[in-house]
Amino acid sequence: MRRLMRKRCLLGLVVAAVCAAQTPKTNPFANDPKAIGDGKPMFSLRCAPCHGRNADGGRAPDLTRGTYSVGDTDEDLYTVIAEGAAGTEMPDFLSRIGSDHVWRLVTFIRSISKRDSTQMHGNVENGKALYAGKGQCSQCHAISGQGGRMGPDLTRVGRQRSLKYLSESLTDPNADLTPGFNTITVVTKTGKKIVGVQKNFDTFSAQLIDMSGNYYSFMTSDVASVTREYKSLMPAYKTTFNETQLNDLLAYLSTLRGEAK
Amino acid sequence: MTKRLTLGLLFIAAASYAADLNEKDPNTWTAYGKNSYGWRYSDLKQINTLNVTQLAPKWMFQSDVAGKFEASPLVYDGLMYLTAPSNHAFALDLLTGRVAWHYFKKLPRGVDICCGQVNRGFAAMGDKLFKVNLEDTLIAMDAKTGAVLWETTIDDIKKGFSATVAPLVAKNLVIVGLAGAEFGVRGIIDAYDANTGKRVWRFYTVAGPEDAAGKTWSGDAYQRGGGSIWVPGTYDPELNLVYFGTGNPGPDLDGSVRPGDNLYTCSVVALDADTGKLKWHFQMTPHDVHDWDSVADPVLIDVNHEGKKVKAVVQANRNGFLYALDRATGKFLYAKAYTKVDWTDGIGPDGRPHLVTGKEPSEQGTITCPGMGGGHNWQATTFSPQSGLYYFTTTEGCQIYYKTSQEYHEGVQYQASTTGAVPGEPNTGSVVAVDPNNGTVKWKFPTVTPPTSGLLAVGGGLIFSGDREGYFIALDAKTGKVLWKFQTGGTVIAPPVSYMFEGKQYIAVAAGASMITFTLPGPAH
Repeated sequence: MRRLMRKRCLLGLVVAAVCAAQTPKTNPFANDPKAIGDGKPMFSLRCAPCHGRNADGGRAPDLTRGTYSVGDTDEDLYTVIAEGAAGTEMPDFLSRIGSDHVWRLVTFIRSISKRDSTQMHGNVENGKALYAGKGQCSQCHAISGQGGRMGPDLTRVGRQRSLKYLSESLTDPNADLTPGFNTITVVTKTGKKIVGVQKNFDTFSAQLIDMSGNYYSFMTSDVASVTREYKSLMPAYKTTFNETQLNDLLAYLSTLRGEAK
Repeated sequence: MTKRLTLGLLFIAAASYAADLNEKDPNTWTAYGKNSYGWRYSDLKQINTLNVTQLAPKWMFQSDVAGKFEASPLVYDGLMYLTAPSNHAFALDLLTGRVAWHYFKKLPRGVDICCGQVNRGFAAMGDKLFKVNLEDTLIAMDAKTGAVLWETTIDDIKKGFSATVAPLVAKNLVIVGLAGAEFGVRGIIDAYDANTGKRVWRFYTVAGPEDAAGKTWSGDAYQRGGGSIWVPGTYDPELNLVYFGTGNPGPDLDGSVRPGDNLYTCSVVALDADTGKLKWHFQMTPHDVHDWDSVADPVLIDVNHEGKKVKAVVQANRNGFLYALDRATGKFLYAKAYTKVDWTDGIGPDGRPHLVTGKEPSEQGTITCPGMGGGHNWQATTFSPQSGLYYFTTTEGCQIYYKTSQEYHEGVQYQASTTGAVPGEPNTGSVVAVDPNNGTVKWKFPTVTPPTSGLLAVGGGLIFSGDREGYFIALDAKTGKVLWKFQTGGTVIAPPVSYMFEGKQYIAVAAGASMITFTLPGPAH
């Protein structure tokens, strides 16, 4: 048994070495205009549904900022496109499109990425206090497992969203509603009205979480009505906070990058 | 016990002979569409409108294959034959759902396959099964053992072709086509000898210079002209014609590089089964720029048209219209919108649409209805001779169509942009029943998202459907009323089938990566 294990370990090392040898370290198409042209339509088809048509984020991170949670080198980008990102919806593409096309995608993403030029004016510590205090953000949002679950998890939001996008989300939450966070209103047969964030919604049932964090599940046939609205339950903070406070909050949100503290 | 033993002996005895496949046998399901007309109708009545509320799962099989089933299973001789994504296939024991045999062929690395590593099912003839593999091969298998009898290469995967269709059997031929219009292929329909795997004929779904219809292309655009085949065709033995719906022209959304009608894309073609010669064609969407493949199953139904019985072919087209054509001649009978349509202000007496200007894709995006997935996409439809109605699923809504220019490179996706959702206007859907004589909608069962599954009609007065959220549903065929539902836990994409086993009727459907069979409780009646 031990011999078998040692054999397996050796085999594993050999496989790892072979794999490492096969993984290209440098981009063979770096800055190649033809590869950029080939990568663009591939991006539109494969990546845009999650990363946005302009690669500026949506369900998946903003790719125009030139900094990525998986690392900032071409090789880092290659690896995440080729192998996917564990624990996320990012699938692996290497077996589907092959190594050259992965590099073409990397080359296209590089061609559109730029450092976020938006100037950061806010005070991070003030923003953190506003998040926990006046804004009551943690009632609905979680950071590193702490906080509510009504709204999207913000653990990595500083990497996932541009400052412009975050600013818009604070002042106009309906401008680009995160998919799956619609508002569900249920009226029971006794006339009780329950409003909450959608967890599931289908032809026969609805599941939702109300503002107090209570979870509800209804069969549509058992209640008077179920309606879904494509709007957020998050309040617009443009009157709650002044401009300085909004900048402070933005400064704090931009520090949320999923890194161990 | 004795009964089981006897049945087992009978099965072994039966298995030692070539299976006698009869599409009219209500106890089995031996072709994608049940019959060669594509009706997907089982005459079984044991499960009906009065007792369907008692329908319950019998067994469930989990494939352990990544991806979702899209296949319509075949059922006969005590086994269920089921293809799965990524070149897997299974034979399942009807009593228990346990695997009798498993086939798998590893896909070549580094190939880009459009639209999922899916497969839509087997075809059967005698003791052979036929299926395509993604890398553009057609294989014949021994139904009893799963052993490969022959394997034929249809075309070159490096060109962008991929094979996902369930084959169609006509006489001694196995007829298939290839997907790949999104890679700028030139589409084909091929027929192969069932015994040898040798190609008997080929039809190009994109007309070349050798064909009079080649003038509907400019220059060499036909070489990248698309016209995929990814849904099985149908066959009329009396007319000896096979019918296929063809896919979109390539590139999908930029029509400027391929001026002309782009025949025979977005069409139904009728081919002589023996020779593959084109008997007639009808193009639903000339010069398509919205990716509205005409691939939906062309179902053969005899209709009453202007007081006369006409052998028709009916298709719920992706462009939002239900079409009926004379299937002997291709003559246009009618087209009727079944969903919101804003790209045309009407269909002419010859079947050609009058276009509304400004509905083409654009750099900044153009909202057009229906969306890219169409009013009805590819999901299997059903015709019930009992109700006289034709049933299919619909997507209700619009999309934003974007266009970019794109150079063609072999093996690289060649779509020239994509679509996006209209903000705040999510698509919904329905299961719809229409009178095939005139296209009149008889009822619609609305759903909050577009239904994803194919359909099944049974003699018990039921229509079975499934949805994205995992519900498997039985509707009253006459009214559309929901009579039963079951949460499967997986998106239902595959079409259901029905069969008899040990005296009981079953309904079977794949959901996600699982196959589930349902029957009524208690012993056989």
